Amino acid sequence: MSIVKEIASAVEAGKSKVVGGLVEQALNEGIEPSVILNDGMISAMGIVGEKFKNNEIFVPEMLIAARAMKKGVEVLQPHLAKQGVEPIGKVILGTISGDLHDIGKNLVGMMIEGAGFKVLDLGVDVPPEKFIEVMKENPDCKVVALSALLTSTMPALTSTIKAIEEAGLRDTVKIMVGGAPVTQAFADEIGADGYSEDAASAAELAKKLYGVA
Amino acid sequence: MIIIGEKINGSIPSTGRAIAARDEAFIRDLAIRQAEAGADYIDVCASVDDDQEMEVMKWLIDIVQDAVDTPIAIDSPNAQTCVDCIPFCKKPGIVNSVSGEGDKMDLVFPVIADTKWEVIALLSDDTGIPKSAADRLRVFDNIMAKAKEYNIAPERIHIDPLVEMLCTSEEGIAMVVEVMTEIKKRYPTIHITGAASNISFNLPARKILNQVFMTLAMNAGMDSAILDPLDRGMLGTIYATEAMLGLDDYCIEYITAFREGRIGPVKK
Repeated sequence: MSIVKEIASAVEAGKSKVVGGLVEQALNEGIEPSVILNDGMISAMGIVGEKFKNNEIFVPEMLIAARAMKKGVEVLQPHLAKQGVEPIGKVILGTISGDLHDIGKNLVGMMIEGAGFKVLDLGVDVPPEKFIEVMKENPDCKVVALSALLTSTMPALTSTIKAIEEAGLRDTVKIMVGGAPVTQAFADEIGADGYSEDAASAAELAKKLYGVA
Repeated sequence: MIIIGEKINGSIPSTGRAIAARDEAFIRDLAIRQAEAGADYIDVCASVDDDQEMEVMKWLIDIVQDAVDTPIAIDSPNAQTCVDCIPFCKKPGIVNSVSGEGDKMDLVFPVIADTKWEVIALLSDDTGIPKSAADRLRVFDNIMAKAKEYNIAPERIHIDPLVEMLCTSEEGIAMVVEVMTEIKKRYPTIHITGAASNISFNLPARKILNQVFMTLAMNAGMDSAILDPLDRGMLGTIYATEAMLGLDDYCIEYITAFREGRIGPVKK
């Protein structure tokens, strides 16, 4: 098995203790950092996401895969930076104002990161002004992902999008929404650009909105 | 959880018949199935008359070792038999068992002193099975003093606090829980074991009682047990309990056992 394949299978199996060493080994063998990232880790996370979507694996298995990838990226990061390999893009992520749920939002963050993005996670109960502030600081960010877990906090999705419009920033980003009570119909109704029903689909959606899928 | 597979025991009628008929295939199959289910040790108990015991023990141990790599738990009420069986074993296992009774410890401890063998020690002595927690802990102290003499570290000792049947207990399992908690407090690395099925003697629907006992006992520190590893319900309970006690990061052991088909509903 090639070392890149070994990395991929270690990430997929969530073997965080071995991934760092394997990445180092691959670098020593002269394999391009971008190849290690794309073919070793991002593609493995793609498989993990696919399996999760198909109910073949459980949430903790997705978590440990993401953790394993993180270990690999830690080793890889300086080499990527040296070669000028950039993330696909930035995604601003947060649970909207009035909602304190973060498990689903964190899973989405991990999977989007696993797809090769830099994620700016603003946490939970994020007021619209905060999203706007971070958008202004990161004009290169083209996707904002909003999460709501409660029917009672869904209206905050509407008001957050509205606030972004009023700040004159609506055309600078694509907005994706998700969370247990959110549906495609609701997303359409409030003028979001995309909706996904689970963390794996969210990563795919982010790629689509960035035009790289 | 350290699982000591109990199926190769002559006091189980089907196994007893297989021993009487020297049915090697039957014993071999029990060894393989228990090992596949995840047993850490295969208990071997002849349960025959004294004059035949050594011969039957050797026959059983040879079959098990030929079938699987899992170490043996040498199980005999006769401590001398346990000692005499040690040379038959290819790798260190468990002596099942000693207690505060008679010269059992004096027979076994010197032999396993400088080895990797482990030992199950029951909290009974020449007075029988003590009724109170304090008295069982007194037996425990004697055992630990003796173990120390022979340099047998706590992590090589599995204490069986002696679980008695629930149906005649007036306070449920409170006393034995007290004993287990205290032992684990004094020696965090010691193992606490027991036969889970004792709890349910003379009651109906025994599996429910056995499983709930296991959960409560694990919560009190039990980390080793003599049981039927082919009992999927019990195995599921053990994996679930370990996850809930925070002993299974990300529930991966639980998920793996499920995926390997060892716990959960049987797939058609």
